[in-house]
Amino acid sequence: MTERSGSAGVKRRDFLKVLGAAGAVTTTVGCFQEDVEKLIPYLVSPDDTVPGVSTYFATTCRECAAGCGLIAETRDGRAIKLEGNPAHPVNHGALCARGQASLQGLYNPDRYRHPMARKNGKLERITWDEGIRTLRERIAGLGAGAANAVFVNQHETGSFAAFLDQWLAGYGMPAHVAYDGEAPHAVMQANRQSYGSAWPALDFSAAKLIVAIGADFIELWGASVTQQLSFADARAKLADAPRFVYIGPRRSLTGLNADEWIACKPGSELAIVNALAGKGDVAAAATAGGVDQAVLQRLAGEIAATKPSLVLSGVTTANALDVALAVNALNVAAGNVGVTIKPAEALTAFDRVGSPNDLRDAVQRMASGAVPIAMFRGVNPVYVLPKSLRVAEALAKVPFKVSFSPFPDETTELCDLVLPDDHFLESWGDAESVRGSVSLQQPAMDRVFDTRATADVLIGVTKGDPATANRIPAADYRSWLIGRFPGGAQAFGAALARGMAPGSAAQSTGTPRTVAAAQPPAPAPLEGQQGDFYFVVYPSPVLGDGRATNKPWLQELPDPVTKIAWQSWIEIHPTTAARLGIENGDHITVTTAAGTVTAPAYVYLGVRQDVVAMATGRGHTGYGRYAQNVGVNPLDALPVAHDASGGLALATVKARIAKTADHSPIVSTEGSARQHARGIGRAVTAAELNGPEEEEVEHFAGDNKHDFLPGLRSPVANDAQGVLGNPKSKDKGMYDPEHWSGMAKRRWAMAIDLARCTGCSACVTACYAENNIPTVGAPWQGRSLRPFHSGDGNGWDTRPGANILKGREMQWIRIERYYEGGEDGSSDFDTRFVPMMCQHCGNAPCEPVCPVYATYHSPDGLNVQVYNRCVGTRYCSNGCPYKVRYFNWHGYGEPARRQYAFPEPLNWQLNPDVTVRGKGVMEKCSFCVQRIREAEHRAKLEGRPLAADEFTTACAQACPSRAITFGDAADENWSVARLAEDRRAYHVFEELNTFTAVVYLKKVNHPAGGAR
Amino acid sequence: MTSRRKWALVPGFVALAGAVAFLSAYSGASSSQNFTPEQPINFPHPTHVQKLGMNCLYCHYAANKSPDPGLPAVGTCLGCHNQIEVGPNRPKIDSIPARQSAEIKKLLDNYADASGKPKKAIPWVRIHKLPEYVHFPHMRHVNAGVACQSCHGQVQRMQRVYQFSSLNMGWCVNCHVNGYKPADAVRNTEGYPTAADEALPPKKARYDCSACHY
Repeated sequence: MTERSGSAGVKRRDFLKVLGAAGAVTTTVGCFQEDVEKLIPYLVSPDDTVPGVSTYFATTCRECAAGCGLIAETRDGRAIKLEGNPAHPVNHGALCARGQASLQGLYNPDRYRHPMARKNGKLERITWDEGIRTLRERIAGLGAGAANAVFVNQHETGSFAAFLDQWLAGYGMPAHVAYDGEAPHAVMQANRQSYGSAWPALDFSAAKLIVAIGADFIELWGASVTQQLSFADARAKLADAPRFVYIGPRRSLTGLNADEWIACKPGSELAIVNALAGKGDVAAAATAGGVDQAVLQRLAGEIAATKPSLVLSGVTTANALDVALAVNALNVAAGNVGVTIKPAEALTAFDRVGSPNDLRDAVQRMASGAVPIAMFRGVNPVYVLPKSLRVAEALAKVPFKVSFSPFPDETTELCDLVLPDDHFLESWGDAESVRGSVSLQQPAMDRVFDTRATADVLIGVTKGDPATANRIPAADYRSWLIGRFPGGAQAFGAALARGMAPGSAAQSTGTPRTVAAAQPPAPAPLEGQQGDFYFVVYPSPVLGDGRATNKPWLQELPDPVTKIAWQSWIEIHPTTAARLGIENGDHITVTTAAGTVTAPAYVYLGVRQDVVAMATGRGHTGYGRYAQNVGVNPLDALPVAHDASGGLALATVKARIAKTADHSPIVSTEGSARQHARGIGRAVTAAELNGPEEEEVEHFAGDNKHDFLPGLRSPVANDAQGVLGNPKSKDKGMYDPEHWSGMAKRRWAMAIDLARCTGCSACVTACYAENNIPTVGAPWQGRSLRPFHSGDGNGWDTRPGANILKGREMQWIRIERYYEGGEDGSSDFDTRFVPMMCQHCGNAPCEPVCPVYATYHSPDGLNVQVYNRCVGTRYCSNGCPYKVRYFNWHGYGEPARRQYAFPEPLNWQLNPDVTVRGKGVMEKCSFCVQRIREAEHRAKLEGRPLAADEFTTACAQACPSRAITFGDAADENWSVARLAEDRRAYHVFEELNTFTAVVYLKKVNHPAGGAR
Repeated sequence: MTSRRKWALVPGFVALAGAVAFLSAYSGASSSQNFTPEQPINFPHPTHVQKLGMNCLYCHYAANKSPDPGLPAVGTCLGCHNQIEVGPNRPKIDSIPARQSAEIKKLLDNYADASGKPKKAIPWVRIHKLPEYVHFPHMRHVNAGVACQSCHGQVQRMQRVYQFSSLNMGWCVNCHVNGYKPADAVRNTEGYPTAADEALPPKKARYDCSACHY
């Protein structure tokens, strides 16, 4: 077609081009439709299951020996959330962070999906029939060697121990070794001697003085939930609460909750206890411990004068048993038995636990080649025992090794046969946590993978051989349990609904193999060793002995003391650090007689100047993608040494430290360690509480004087709602308290009692579980757009915690930790734990600035984030003075992206009532709005109004200290309404006029001598 | 291109594309309204609801208890269909003509074994789907007296179910703000509202974002 220049109008070809383009645009826009989905019905509808509504099962937690009662919430056959069972005597409805995170063990992407056997040097998939047959043949071939077989089982209460011993005895094998790396063995043995039971009940609120000598009862010493419940009740007495003194070389989380810390040298505790009991010389004890004599004198006087008291021991030195016995004697002399220490109401969690000495003996027998077969269930000796014991080499001498572990941990990777156990949420069992009361364990769902309960595997082994087929009369473990349950199947079924039944678990009649009469190796005396520093290894409050490290929630949970995640660190005192020129993050090498370990330094006020401390739990070389190669293991530098009870001694060596040239930034969520008079975490002393409010040192004018009413507190934020929020409109706007919908009658609010909060962080993990919060610190989630020495050169920052280093953490509720005092490096400082989440401000700085109205104030008092509107300008987070808004910098919620936080089957845990957020969306605490709506729907369904305190948020429900109270502050029947009027109540950053819906109650301190 | 043509063509193209985009956005073409998929079994609602008088809740049993309305289990279908006389091929009985139903044959062959026990689930094609950031509670609406047909159309007359409403947010909010007339519930269920019905006030509902978006 020739071009006719100069003519007006559109040429035909051009017209067709435009038409084609326009048509393409229309078709593209108009044809967009979501992918066609299928709806798959049931074949047969299960009874008592309504789709879209959760079904709850009562069961028992097995993450530690305590055996707390659980209620597992399942939806469409998948467990999505765990809560404590309110009727259970151990935890009364609370649940610790590890209990919450056990769902990530159930859905761990690195779990074995089927049994495996080692063929040609590699573990390969086999069938269950082949696995059971192999085990049966191996056992049959033992002959006389069966007497040297070793079975190491995790320590647990309940009938399985007896069942296992019965099974072992049938084959001529000795009783199993029950190992618990976290149990304080010295204390338990001393308790048996002094009180007659391994773990008497501790009543903190009956005490008028608590002295803990290294006893970290808020952490892994004993049953932490039970103890926290009792301790919180004690502190809730405010001015009448007992004073709490902590003695030890390192101020643990428990120590941070104490009113006073006496920083003594490791190994001097025995002298100090004797001095406090009036049996030893105070001056000598003060010198041995490196503490002030006047302080010890005063404390001795306090103990003598204050009854009843509660003195606890948890030292991990070589003389731990002696210290525990001395402490018990002190308690007996002070008349505490029966008042604060109650052997009659003992916890049975630690009965019949084997000591690490038994395990050490078993490993040494393996090393000598005497053991023909070794079987492991729930214990990872290659990792949890010090490297100097050379467990891996010992295992190599055992011709056949079987592991029942569901995870590829360091021990299982060396085994020949892997028969993966069911998770406790998939299997039957029982626990006896309190004498006379059995806690039942039932599957909350069908198996995720092709695993089998170990008890059923063992029964399968006997059934396959006609000679042994009738040895265990039951077809499976469940039938065996029902067979010995009083009342049989019917009573069992009825008891399952509550999760509890009176009765007792089977008791094992097998005796464990007696350990060689030779004394367990005691370490060289501390004072004679080379080195300027005491190397104190302590169990991590979150990760424990390392069993919890493969769960991303727990890797991401900042350590309650140091606020470090995804990283190992070595604690060092600020004065010492300054002297040696060490700063946070500088790598230091700790060298002991047994080995070396290198990690970044962390300057911490809570260690003695001559102590360096390190937590266990990280430094795995296996155990799945979340645990592998993150951090270092302090056990590499620890010699194998036991106290007289057989417990592993953790504070037994002196060390030399050397600064290396390396440096890693500390992966910490801590903004600032001090408040700088901002009044975020406030405290009153007991003496001040007895006086007028205005004379409190931390009283800010205007505290608690404003109204805590429903509705909006700012006219500006109203604009977001347009005519619907306009008080002058004919509807009077939806914020009108008299609005026809009743929406504005409620004012959801929260009260957080800092006197109760211990900083344990159970609330943080509960929130992750409830609200589909992604973890962001895994090594494959970081991005690096510039060449960076830790990046892999392809744009990925592969350091663990890379996102957290950039300040891009994701944590709807965080525990802030502030120190007051101790700027001169002294041990006299106070700690404030402040759980901080979206304050749902009535006059929110984040609401008016959103350009797309993605955040607004709901009529019932919530600051709502509407994820689908958010375009990611992040202006709201800029305005938030509490910095409680978190941005999805990467596609943590998008399965196709590398940073996806829920690799299958972790995504089975996601709560269907909460949106999974994609990249570019802002999120924050919603006061569990899904629970609010669910409760409102349920009340409407049942035709009744919402009852007071009918439901609560996930954080409040989990808290073992009952520090958080949630509810409707506009209705006086709810507890939170009463708490908001408390004398101790204050709002954080009140002077900004944010009118927060969260009220904090001041912590109550008890300084020495009743000082103000 | 000449300068003159450029000044005619480029703005013209932009304006045309803009108009197209604008109009198509408001055309409702972005919703799945009228989506009429073929289902693995041509389940006829008229036979079951109009002819046999079955209530919606017989199969969609959770609609008044749960946010999720529920889909009948295969066993629900077989509960009747392995009792109905001689299966898909029914001879003439009295005045009822003989019938050969290929669909019932599909149900019995593909999804049940010889004794009538269900063995495989029917993969229904989903028609009504709200995005995952919307939490829609069926039971609140059903218990408030909203007739199923008000939102889902006259399903009892649909030989093949299609999406009757757009399910757009604006459509939802309009009803929340303006209110739902109880007389409409009567009308939509093939009834005739009385004067008393018409006099009932419209039922309004909360309309702020956090009612559904969380």
